[in-house]
Amino acid sequence: MLILQDLHVFHGPIEAVHGISLEVPQGKCISLLGPNGAGKTSTISAITGIARSTGEVRFEGRDLSRESVEARIAAGIAVSPEGRRIFSNLTVLENLTLGAALQKDAKEKARDRDHWFSLFPILAERRDQPAGTLSGGEQQMLAIARALMARPRILLLDEPSLGLAPKIVRQIFDLIASLKERGMTILLVEQNATQALKLADYAYLMSSGRIVAHGTADELGKSDRLMAELTGVA
Amino acid sequence: MIRLSSSQRSGLIGAALLALVLIAIGVLVTYFGSRYQIRLVYSAYVNLIVVLGLQVFMGNARITNLSHSAFMGVGAYAAALCVTPEKIKKISLPEAPWGLAEFSLDPVLAAVIAIVVTALLALFLGMFIVRLTSTGATIVTLAVLVIVHAIFLYRTDIFKGNQAFFGIPQVFDLTSVIVIAILAVVACRMFRESRWGIQLRASADDEVGAAAMGVQIYRLRLIAWVLGAVILAVAGICYAYFLGTISARPFYFNHVFLTLAMLILGGMRTVTGAVLGTFLISFGLEGVRYLETGPVFLGIDLPEALGLSGIALGAVIVLTMALRPTGIMGNREIEDLFARQKS
Amino acid sequence: MEYIIQQVLNALSFGAEYALLALGLAIVFSIMGLVNFAHGEIIAVGGYTMVAFASLSIGNPFIVMGGAVLAAMLASLTLERVAFRPVRKADPTTGLLTAFGVSIVLQNLFLLFVSPRPIAVTSLYFLDWPIEIAGIRLASLQVFEALTTIIVIVALMLFLRRTVLGLAVRAASLDFEMVRLTGIRANRVFAMAFLISGLLAGLACIFIMARRGSVDPHLGFEPVLKAFVACVVGGFGSLPGAVLGGFLLGAVEVAMLVMLPQSLGGMTDAFVFVIVALILIWRPDGILSPAVEKGDKL
Repeated sequence: MLILQDLHVFHGPIEAVHGISLEVPQGKCISLLGPNGAGKTSTISAITGIARSTGEVRFEGRDLSRESVEARIAAGIAVSPEGRRIFSNLTVLENLTLGAALQKDAKEKARDRDHWFSLFPILAERRDQPAGTLSGGEQQMLAIARALMARPRILLLDEPSLGLAPKIVRQIFDLIASLKERGMTILLVEQNATQALKLADYAYLMSSGRIVAHGTADELGKSDRLMAELTGVA
Repeated sequence: MIRLSSSQRSGLIGAALLALVLIAIGVLVTYFGSRYQIRLVYSAYVNLIVVLGLQVFMGNARITNLSHSAFMGVGAYAAALCVTPEKIKKISLPEAPWGLAEFSLDPVLAAVIAIVVTALLALFLGMFIVRLTSTGATIVTLAVLVIVHAIFLYRTDIFKGNQAFFGIPQVFDLTSVIVIAILAVVACRMFRESRWGIQLRASADDEVGAAAMGVQIYRLRLIAWVLGAVILAVAGICYAYFLGTISARPFYFNHVFLTLAMLILGGMRTVTGAVLGTFLISFGLEGVRYLETGPVFLGIDLPEALGLSGIALGAVIVLTMALRPTGIMGNREIEDLFARQKS
Repeated sequence: MEYIIQQVLNALSFGAEYALLALGLAIVFSIMGLVNFAHGEIIAVGGYTMVAFASLSIGNPFIVMGGAVLAAMLASLTLERVAFRPVRKADPTTGLLTAFGVSIVLQNLFLLFVSPRPIAVTSLYFLDWPIEIAGIRLASLQVFEALTTIIVIVALMLFLRRTVLGLAVRAASLDFEMVRLTGIRANRVFAMAFLISGLLAGLACIFIMARRGSVDPHLGFEPVLKAFVACVVGGFGSLPGAVLGGFLLGAVEVAMLVMLPQSLGGMTDAFVFVIVALILIWRPDGILSPAVEKGDKL
């Protein structure tokens, strides 16, 4: 469904990702793992068009690499970005409304919203609170719910567990698992490899802007190299 | 013997190169120029000193200053009040308070007093301005400009408002202003390459980072601000000492825009940019002004076009910002143009 | 007592005008950090549109007013396209200086193509007649002005809270990139902000013209200077701050006019600016400034 082909990503004059290729098939959860600074978030930025890149971003057979950010989102890509980036000056409800900015049908929007509220009851409870007053875990849920409001064909999750307490991390991963069960196509970027590998059908390991290993969760889980890369312990 | 860092040494070389340019223009116009052209070049040099005074603060702290013409005015009026002979002041300022019309000083002493007064005023205002965020600081400098102008206009008993304050001894000629402009260039370059200047520029690029390194941003900004004001006061004095008459109008918005455009076009980050921009706009505007009068050009009688120079000035600013926000020179000083390209 | 009420109403109508203009500045600033010095020229565009209608001998006041507002909105949109789009991602200084340049260009275009001298516009005098409510004499114009400002503020609030584009404008003041990641086109958000800004300037133009009765190239300069001050006092980029700052400035100005002796009349502006400077020293970021992180923005 989503295919990256020889993708190079740039931040100004600096090349952060040096020609990676990967594939996210329909209905699968693919995980992109790697330590800090490996180029995972840069990859996400290149998929959404925020970062400058060369190479191919093919989505449902269509080459998006020359399209604007807005066109890519309209094509069915939604992202819950690193650091959550919820609109803290808006209420929870307003955040969700913006998430559905491209949806036309008001009734469907309301139905979607209620649907996600039932999945995230804590958000329903705080619907009229400024999003900035939410806890870290709640903000992460809001960021995911906001992305889902767009009815995406693929969901990009960038470090959803970052900075959260272990108990909350488990909740977030349970949530991702249930999304996967519902057939959502997911590209999950994580540093927390143990949790991510439990969910992922297939995983890619990045280091210093390159993909250094890939395989199914089982294959990678057994690899000493992976563990060394991820934990920094050789 | 003072030891100079390598950047200070290249700063001196750059200042020397710029001085050569300044002297060359002066020599050319003295030997070949008409009276009108000499006057034109003189005002270009005064504006150069203003732009240099502006560059010290704007270029290093990267905060837009709009009050520079006011400080120039304060310097000019302070010197004028001190230096003008009592006899003339008795006529022109019959109601001057505090015995302002009762004394007169020699030009050097008057200039020193004017510089000290301007510096003290700048120090006082600067203590507040340097603490504000960039936009807030800019608006407050705007407020300073408006307030100072209002005082010039209101206290006609001291400043004569929009009427001419006349009788200032005309002690300066082109040579004196060239010497002073060269000194100002050297001062600006040395500040830019000094530890203070380098730290200030670093803090403009990354305020949090520089603060974490122990850079005292507010203090550095204040130093640059006051140094700038001193140079501006000098510019005001040069203006008054050459023309012999001053009024409030030249120290207001039009002059602010003019000098700002000069600095922006040349590039506010460098002293070379300040010099280049001043001369480009000074001489370029002269051409536009000629068109404004509706000349006969290639047999075509052009209509009078008031406002053309303003449009040109504004367009220079807009285009520079859109195409090359750091101005023509960017981060390069004159000696960098001659140095070998670093790989 | 009557005198006091009259002065309070004066302050409100001054404040209303400043609030309209300050809101227009703040909405643009909040999303792109641009201090729009060319806002005053948008007002002048409205004024010259009225002149154009007069020279076409179109006297219908509604056409004149509507036309002026429309022209201001169009001018604002055009400026966004032509001048401000190239510096959209630049630092605040670049934007501020661009706006400066635009302002100079426009002022001199008026000077070159219309006239450096004021041109009388009398078609709006009908808005101003003395009225008396409960023994208090006031000008109808003041009432219109206050009412318009209230309606505009309410409408703007509804727009910013109830519509997707309005939410996007608010969200954009915090994280523009994230707004784009919801699929909303950046150009639409910018266009909307400038459209609103132009609308507010157009409305202010009507009141300014009704009071002054003439337009010259510098028509908008002084009101916008005051509006800046209002923005700074309220906290630049904060919309409630702009309104608060506008009314506060109106109050300070009227207080100065009332309290300063006649002989100091020429110094009103200077005193107003001194008070503004004092407020800023007390609260360097303005009274209601939005929190700004100086740290790295990722």
